[in-house]
Amino acid sequence: MIILSGKPLLEHSLVMLRETGITDVVIVVGHHSEQIQDYFGRGAAWGMSIEYVHQSTQSGIGDALLLARERFHGLDYFVLSYGDTVFSENIFAQCLGSFSEFKKSTAVVALAQSSELYGNVYIEDESRISRVVEKPKGNQMGNYVLAGTFVLGAEFFDLLKENEAKAEAAFNALAKKQGLYATIWEEDWTDMNFPWDILQANKVLMSGFRESRISNLAKLESNVSFTGPVLVDDYAEIRHGAVLKGPCYIGKHCFVGHNSLIREYTSLGDRTTVGYGVELKNCVLFGKTRIGRLSFIGDSVIGENAIIGSGTMTVNESLNDEPIWVEIGGRKMSSDLSKVGAFLGDNVVIGASNTLLPGTLVPPGSRVPHRGTLDRERLIKGMK
Amino acid sequence: MCGISGIAGGSDVTKRLYSCMLNLEYRGYDSCGMAVASGGAIEVRKNIGRVAEVFEKERFAELSGETGIAHSRWATHGAPSKVNSHPHTSSDERIAVVHNGIIANYVKLKEMLTENGHNFRSETDSEVIAQLLEFHHKKHGNFARAIRETMEELEGTYAFAAVVAESPDVIFCARNKNPLIIGVGKDANYVASDVVAFIEYTKNVVYLNDNEYAVVSKDSHQVFSAATGAPMEKEIDVINWDAEQAKKGGYPHFLLKEIYEQPTAVRSALQIPIEDIERIAKMAQDAEQVYLLGVGTTFYVTMLAQYYFKEIAGVFAPSISSDEFSYLCNVDEKTLVIAISQSGETFDTLEALRYAKANGAKTAAIVNALGSSMTREVDEVLMQGAGPEKSVLSTKAALSQIIVLTRIAISLGEMRGSLSADARDELNTSLWELVDVLRRLLDEKPGFIRRVAKRISSYTKWLFIGRGYHMPAALEAALKLKEVTYIPAEGMPGGFMKHGPISMIDEDMVAVVLMPTPENERLYNSTLINVSEMKSRGAKLVGFHFNPDEKIFDEDIVLPKAHYLFAPIPELVAGQLLAYFCAILLKRHPDNPRGLAKSVTVE
Repeated sequence: MIILSGKPLLEHSLVMLRETGITDVVIVVGHHSEQIQDYFGRGAAWGMSIEYVHQSTQSGIGDALLLARERFHGLDYFVLSYGDTVFSENIFAQCLGSFSEFKKSTAVVALAQSSELYGNVYIEDESRISRVVEKPKGNQMGNYVLAGTFVLGAEFFDLLKENEAKAEAAFNALAKKQGLYATIWEEDWTDMNFPWDILQANKVLMSGFRESRISNLAKLESNVSFTGPVLVDDYAEIRHGAVLKGPCYIGKHCFVGHNSLIREYTSLGDRTTVGYGVELKNCVLFGKTRIGRLSFIGDSVIGENAIIGSGTMTVNESLNDEPIWVEIGGRKMSSDLSKVGAFLGDNVVIGASNTLLPGTLVPPGSRVPHRGTLDRERLIKGMK
Repeated sequence: MCGISGIAGGSDVTKRLYSCMLNLEYRGYDSCGMAVASGGAIEVRKNIGRVAEVFEKERFAELSGETGIAHSRWATHGAPSKVNSHPHTSSDERIAVVHNGIIANYVKLKEMLTENGHNFRSETDSEVIAQLLEFHHKKHGNFARAIRETMEELEGTYAFAAVVAESPDVIFCARNKNPLIIGVGKDANYVASDVVAFIEYTKNVVYLNDNEYAVVSKDSHQVFSAATGAPMEKEIDVINWDAEQAKKGGYPHFLLKEIYEQPTAVRSALQIPIEDIERIAKMAQDAEQVYLLGVGTTFYVTMLAQYYFKEIAGVFAPSISSDEFSYLCNVDEKTLVIAISQSGETFDTLEALRYAKANGAKTAAIVNALGSSMTREVDEVLMQGAGPEKSVLSTKAALSQIIVLTRIAISLGEMRGSLSADARDELNTSLWELVDVLRRLLDEKPGFIRRVAKRISSYTKWLFIGRGYHMPAALEAALKLKEVTYIPAEGMPGGFMKHGPISMIDEDMVAVVLMPTPENERLYNSTLINVSEMKSRGAKLVGFHFNPDEKIFDEDIVLPKAHYLFAPIPELVAGQLLAYFCAILLKRHPDNPRGLAKSVTVE
């Protein structure tokens, strides 16, 4: 469960659904389902009624929907939303608005960074989708893609059944028979494919911040300066000389040391400790992490429970102005971003004085030794 | 430039007026207002801001009555402000008026009225109408006569609508050189600057001509001549548009919607009966001199058509910007002027046509909006049938105009014997292929174009280069970018580069190159020279081209292939999408660029 600005991603979606008047929700959960169930429960705190359906293997959207089918018995239409998408404005409101005009199944479509990861749609006159091409190979297509929010007719379940639970085939069948209409989303959106998508999602959410909110349980020393919308949560402690530039979020029980600079789009998860004189910019720290003094972390994501030694520098720019590549599972993926720092898994330990190059990926639990310009062994020899 | 609307009768007058105002917002949107007559009094609410904002702020929904008028304004005289917004009321506040146009002699009239004890509140020319109506009404006690005398004294252009406390169930309206249309509904009648205002409620319309006025109530509408006061016989026309089509559908902006409607607009233009095309081609054949007229985007449309007239028909038909026409061109009875206007209300083009007519020339117009002024003033009209275009930026209407002009060129070539039947068939086939080419472009390329836009939208210096018939497309692509993003962008022929502009090229500049297809070797090679010139000076090079293996650009926008002569057409569409995405990324409003209005009915 990814938590940004103190809230799970899913909560942002649920709140928007609630705003459009939808209160009955079925969440299909896989592994780590306890975490989600513990957090949302039956949904009473959100004024919703939430049920859960378990999908034991990750076997796709179509399968997930069929598992939940009986919960939708007797309904003409339902909303389908992918859990890992993030949007800046209420995407459900637009989808339902367009649906009320089309009175037919409606899909939100948007332009993505890379079309190769999504279902690409062909749009005809009157916004009708003529076909869906799932994850086109090569670089021939770059059109609007299914953005993971739909209003679908109940017949979609039958189409899934006929098409062996394959979502693409069912969408195509729907487009051909009953009709599937597109509503184009031009606001910010992102979903979670790559590590840098977490930064993008954080940015999308934080761009919705409108005002500063400081918990009255937080402890701020004198001479802490704020610009832009800054959220400081309960029991956070900020020492004097710190500068906070919003939008940014300081989680519960966080500690921000003297003269630190917390810049735009930084989200500190609960119990993060930031040492003296540290600069943070556009980064997401999941929490319980310690950052040693005089470090710079920019355009980076840091998992839970990490330790970053003092004087650690992330480098977030390549020298040749090219978009930065990140190696994932042996494949080089372009981030399409000109600034990318490092991505550190949970429980990583980085020794003091390390420099992390753009696009560095550090697997969970890795330990990186301290670096020094003096070799201790040789120094001791010289003394003899 | 403004939009006026009015409703007499029925329930929910304010609610329906609000939707009329929203539909007319494209005509102006710096301020708006509403006046409702009921119980022997008139209540006016108005303010500056977009229609939806003012509706909330001024609580228009609280107004009630059976007759109302509304206005959305685009300031010409007097800055946008609450007091300058329409409706304007007379001194005794028993008459409220909304006006579109310019009253040329308002200073003189204002002096006269002030001397007669009228109390002016605003800086606008429009307030004069309300005051003058009151002046004559008090004199005669007869409102019809007051309108006639007012119209006699007003100089300039106007369409106005008025509500009067004494007759709370009628709207008085009048027209001189600005559009005004009556909508005939079941339980209410309407007046508006444009049919899109009330098309949700009725498709039956009556057109007012210049120097006519009308009295419209819930169940009657009568048009009179201002000169004689005699009632006029008017037929009711039926609009064939689908009201759904006038809405946005699933698109976030009209601009994008209309970009996506271009394959259909091209198809409709190709389905215009050949006899209609031939009528204008015949006029061109009979003329000694043909001028193609447009202004703004339509000027670039005619500029491209000028190349097609030469290539296809072997005729040099100069393309002239309408506003310059009377300064530049000699006109006599052997001249044909073909004017292009989406709205059919474009002031500069109407003026140019009037100049041409006054000098004995034949006139023809290609127009999109039914029943517009231009359709009634020229010798021959060709309706392009592209459907309503609501975004301020012209996209589908412009593309369909190009197709129509190309068809005229083909027909003219045939008449002149300069085009063989085979060549004609080939061109016609290629034109039909464009439908599919544009469809594929729109189905497969927007993602690429948006990604390119993301990488270059922060640049503040832009250049669009094309040669031959790609040159007008370069100019139009530059215009699209500047009008919607407000970024300075130049378009020019590639040949210009060495003669000056090249000195401004550096790494801060985006240069968009409209590459011809390689089979047009001469054009292709000379454009290539421009590319290397600009590359060596560090410009960020964006190529609109047709070759997936092209390696010379920093950013490629590879387009589906069209006939070499029509290659500028997919390039135009790519230019529209690039401008649209840059506007989105820069948070500009694509449908209502600052300071622009859909149809420019003033000089």
